[in-house]
Amino acid sequence: MSDQHSLNPKKNSLTDFFFAEEVPYGMAVARMLLPAVLLLVMVPRWIHARELFSMDGAAAPLADNYGYFDFLPVPSGPMAVGLATLLVLTLLTSSLGWCTRLSLVVSLVLYTYLNLLDCLSTLTKYSAIAAHGLLILSLSNGGSVWSIDSFLRRRALRRSGTEDPELLKPQRYAVWPRRLMQLMIGIVYLGAAFTKMHTPAFFSSDQMLHWLLTNVNNSNPFGEYLSYYPATLVVSAYITILWEVLFVFIAWRGWNRVLMLGLGITFHLGTTFLLGLYIFPLVCFSIYASFLYEEDVQRFAAFFKRLEQRGNRLLTKFRSLGESIGRAIPDVSPRQASLVFGVVVLLVTFGGVGVEYQLDPMGARRADGAWPLKELDPAKVVPMLGQTERIRESDKYLSFNIGSDMLGDVLMDRKNVFRHGDPIVAQCTLNPPHEDMWIECNLHDADGHLIDRVGQVADRSMLRVSYAFVLPESLLPGQYFLVVRSGGQEITRRAITLVAR
Amino acid sequence: MKRILAVGTIVVYLGVLVAGLGSHALNYRTGAHPTMYFIVWDMFCGWSAYEDRTHIIGQGESGRYYDLAPAPWGDYRPFGDIPRHHYDPFAMHAGVLALNTLRYSEHEPIQQIFVVQETWAKKFNLPDELWAERYTEPKNPHSYFHVRKILGPDGMAQASNLAWFDYQSKLCLSDNPRLAADSNRGRPYLEMQSQVQVSDTGSRPAPFQ
Repeated sequence: MSDQHSLNPKKNSLTDFFFAEEVPYGMAVARMLLPAVLLLVMVPRWIHARELFSMDGAAAPLADNYGYFDFLPVPSGPMAVGLATLLVLTLLTSSLGWCTRLSLVVSLVLYTYLNLLDCLSTLTKYSAIAAHGLLILSLSNGGSVWSIDSFLRRRALRRSGTEDPELLKPQRYAVWPRRLMQLMIGIVYLGAAFTKMHTPAFFSSDQMLHWLLTNVNNSNPFGEYLSYYPATLVVSAYITILWEVLFVFIAWRGWNRVLMLGLGITFHLGTTFLLGLYIFPLVCFSIYASFLYEEDVQRFAAFFKRLEQRGNRLLTKFRSLGESIGRAIPDVSPRQASLVFGVVVLLVTFGGVGVEYQLDPMGARRADGAWPLKELDPAKVVPMLGQTERIRESDKYLSFNIGSDMLGDVLMDRKNVFRHGDPIVAQCTLNPPHEDMWIECNLHDADGHLIDRVGQVADRSMLRVSYAFVLPESLLPGQYFLVVRSGGQEITRRAITLVAR
Repeated sequence: MKRILAVGTIVVYLGVLVAGLGSHALNYRTGAHPTMYFIVWDMFCGWSAYEDRTHIIGQGESGRYYDLAPAPWGDYRPFGDIPRHHYDPFAMHAGVLALNTLRYSEHEPIQQIFVVQETWAKKFNLPDELWAERYTEPKNPHSYFHVRKILGPDGMAQASNLAWFDYQSKLCLSDNPRLAADSNRGRPYLEMQSQVQVSDTGSRPAPFQ
């Protein structure tokens, strides 16, 4: 069923929207990608499972933050390691499509459970989105194509002498799980838009600017660079919120789908380059596969077939690689494969517990005895434990820049050469918290003589103050300084050059 | 039957998502239950002009101080270059982290555990070359330290202070003499836990995310 038809108002569109049938290629791609992305998260955590998720370590249940103590049982060390091992295995088998539904259900339960046990270093909002993704995938038939399960099924049918091409074709299922995933993505974006609507500093660029300077995620040098250009952040803030609000309403078909997904890919890549996020974008890209329709796959298949007919060697090699992998899969029936799956689960899980015990990552049985504690220099510690210092005057300001034009209350350009009569805008951006302040921006000549004194109140809620100057012809061309003073101190100064018109 | 189950699943699932959306939009009971975390999409809801780190320090009977985080067997860095214990903005789990280090280490009896917040203005995170382009004054980073909690040797809280940001905000407000006078006049006769609840400003950095 085409998606163009599925929204045809002449039909019972809601029924078609959810129950039109299709080969679930999109969900198959999401099934391959999402667990693979989560492996990038869970494999590095495996060796720390005892510390992060068990009562033998330092589990940090999310429920404690909500006041629900003992909301979930915290497992023993070996149990936590066993569960983490099983999760890694089932994420792998989900991605490969081996005992797909069972693998996805186990992955969903274990991934959610372990995340809830460690809100410090495992649970994040991408975990929540991924948990939704796993839930929907476990309800779908994403394992019915491009999976070990479908390969074994077709091979068993061929072996049994079935020649009916209809039986050998990929099976068709109702589209509703894919619709749920699409709606989930749209609702997440709508929720993210509400968050931004609740945060006025998002629209003034201040929130984003400070996130660009934050070092709690991976390195983000582009973000640090962009923090000098808040006007671009103002523009991107409005584009972002428009995209987030519109997504759920128009991302369904045609060029709107291309536009919304294109903006989504740009936005998430932006979070990588500007904020240092890696897994969050990958989780989102993997569930974007739910926007891959059957017709898209047919178009891609026809395109690749044409390429292959024209003698594209890469595609021929790719096809022969697929056939080699198929031959490598042992000649077993689907039922035998399920039994093997059970044996592998037991072996890997118990094997994982045994290996972790031998590795002893926390050194509970180390030959040198218990760990010595690192002693700290009292000269460094005592000041840390004393009276909290008040904020320095210089730390209350973030930046002082000079330009000639503003966009959305932020300086649009940076200039330091002006002609007589040119507008000059000097802007001081403040770091909250600060008290009600009197901030002066004074004009001095090159010899330091005060020419003009301009001050204004910045109340505690303000994040910037701007000063407008127009230098009259009575001032001689040459170098001048704009000097910011606050709390009786000079905070900073910038040189400007005045040239004759 | 299969269709009915499917319709039920669709209605329930979308109903839950829409309930979360409504709760978030109207700011109604968003923290009512841990499961709300899975339906309230408040990514990057807070921000701060100050970078934040946590120090967990134990003091032994001898008066010596010990570093309790990261643990001596090594740290785990989940989202970048900083260890796990720095991702605890409410200092809720510092006690568990400290006790875990103490459990696997040899040490004199510990009398107190201090959870100390270190903050500095984020502008100092700029690399030196960008700093030189943007500022005329020399880069002079300064850290503020603030005791957030004092825990007993069993990890139970003995004293708890406002987070640094809230503490500094309060100081800024107290510069207003009339407000300070009214606040002092309004001091209650009884100190009750319910009266020290301070709404979170949402200003602290969260890991993502």
